[in-house]
Amino acid sequence: MRIGITCPYTWDVPGGVQAHVRDLSAHLIGLGHDVSVLTPVDDPDEAHLPPYVLSAGRAVPVPYNGSVARLVFGPLSLTRTRRWLREGEFDVLHVHEPTVPSVSMLACFAASGPMVATFHTATARSRALQVFGTALQPALEKISARIAVSAAARRVVVEHLGADAVLIPNGVDVARFAGAQPLPGRSAAPTVVFLGRIDEGRKGLAVLLEALPELVRLVPGVRLLVAGPGNADDVREAVPRSLRDRVELLGLVSDADKSSVFASGQVYCAPNTHGESFGIVLVEAMATGTPVVASDLEAFRRVLDEGRAGVLVPVRDPGALAAALGALLCDPPRQARLAASAREVVRAYDWASVTRQVLDVYETVADTAPPAGHVEVDPELDTLAALLEKGDGTDDDAGRLVSTLRRWLADRPRLADRTRSPEAWTDRS
Amino acid sequence: MLGLLVLAVVYVTWTAGRLDRLHARVDAAWAALDAQLVRRAAAARAVAATLPPGPVAETLDAAARAALEAGAEGREACENDLSRALRAALPLPPDSAELGELETATTRVGLARSFHNAAVGDTRAIRLRRIPRALRLAGHRALPQFFEIDTAMAQ
Repeated sequence: MRIGITCPYTWDVPGGVQAHVRDLSAHLIGLGHDVSVLTPVDDPDEAHLPPYVLSAGRAVPVPYNGSVARLVFGPLSLTRTRRWLREGEFDVLHVHEPTVPSVSMLACFAASGPMVATFHTATARSRALQVFGTALQPALEKISARIAVSAAARRVVVEHLGADAVLIPNGVDVARFAGAQPLPGRSAAPTVVFLGRIDEGRKGLAVLLEALPELVRLVPGVRLLVAGPGNADDVREAVPRSLRDRVELLGLVSDADKSSVFASGQVYCAPNTHGESFGIVLVEAMATGTPVVASDLEAFRRVLDEGRAGVLVPVRDPGALAAALGALLCDPPRQARLAASAREVVRAYDWASVTRQVLDVYETVADTAPPAGHVEVDPELDTLAALLEKGDGTDDDAGRLVSTLRRWLADRPRLADRTRSPEAWTDRS
Repeated sequence: MLGLLVLAVVYVTWTAGRLDRLHARVDAAWAALDAQLVRRAAAARAVAATLPPGPVAETLDAAARAALEAGAEGREACENDLSRALRAALPLPPDSAELGELETATTRVGLARSFHNAAVGDTRAIRLRRIPRALRLAGHRALPQFFEIDTAMAQ
């Protein structure tokens, strides 16, 4: 099957959607499918890109939905998207996050034929949908199949687009995590692992740090291993001086080292306060075999099978968190039991199973050859695209927009000529 | 005045085009659903043939045949009967090629039904608006209907 996938966020910036697109593509290619990914790329040297990734141009940082999103949207990106669709001859087009103003949205406008969309965000309000909802509707209406990665994301789709979505979870490479070794040189002291941005409030590191004194009272030898980017000094200041040597800050860890970080602890702690749609990190820790203690958020409750595959604690409650962590650290048989049930749960999230489910969707929308056909360039945008495609060397969206506008203004006198001599109508068509 | 007229013409042609696409999507979604329903019924007959002779196998085979032969009118009812007959036949003998095909087909029927009904919902939402309805922008095409069947297959 020839599959075209669009990723709205910059490829070389780490992120959940990018990782999802990368892993899904790799598994589809592993099954023998032809995959091409169109995505914004920042690094002008494209040699480091995997062979299946095509750059849609540099992204522009835009404040969006409370954080800075790096997006591409404009004439040059549209031109590239159309060319990619034309040359790709895809059997199915899979757009990720089509409501984010970037390549996925452009592809929705520019394509017709069998289209699948995956919705990742659980943010109840999408700025783009609020402002441009009506204008986006016709593009979103072309999508033949909608996938949501979590129950929360699915609810957003139903509320905003008035249509149901099939639930297919995020995938995890279970085998890669299952065989993980601890980081070299680790002591055998009971260790709690935290992974996530240390300065992002909703990841809840502050709650865990607040629980630390009580936890030390319960488990005197306990250590805290913190992995994730952010300002380390702020974290140190939040810990009483006497306990600072208990906290080890690893900074940003690579994807490859993530599994070793989990394997270096007896317990993985996810004290998140809100705003989690899925909990992929929990699944990764569970795949490693590290028992999880997590906030009782809806997404986490689902992943932890209502508490059967991990411990749920009240949100923002340092006392309860310390008690739960302490009890679990002192109970190795319970750790083993939780790890065993977690391993069962995690199988449903293995990429092998997730890829199969995504392929089921592809084949359902693309199998019926005559009515569905191939993915094609939507002729509706031809006029607009022809106006924008007259290249003049500028290679960013803003420059292209300005030059198009300038050309259009320069063409104004000629419009007057045409009304006088009808022959002139044909000279530029 | 002229501007308003131009706007109205643009709106009408654009909405008509939009409805055209939506109907094409419904057609494609129905073709997919139809194909998967036929596949499921055929798989159900193959599974029925592997069951020990008895009332369960006979009911399943009869329901599958009825589903294959049903016209547009009785299709929903026949497919629902087949879902029920399949559930009654549980647990099926495990790990046969026939059962694998039946499971795939059942999953696909569920997906195809959901995609079809989403397409129908999107189309109806536009068609039932006041202006498209008054101007008959959908032409002679019948209002697409939801296909409601129960595809749950508890294992």
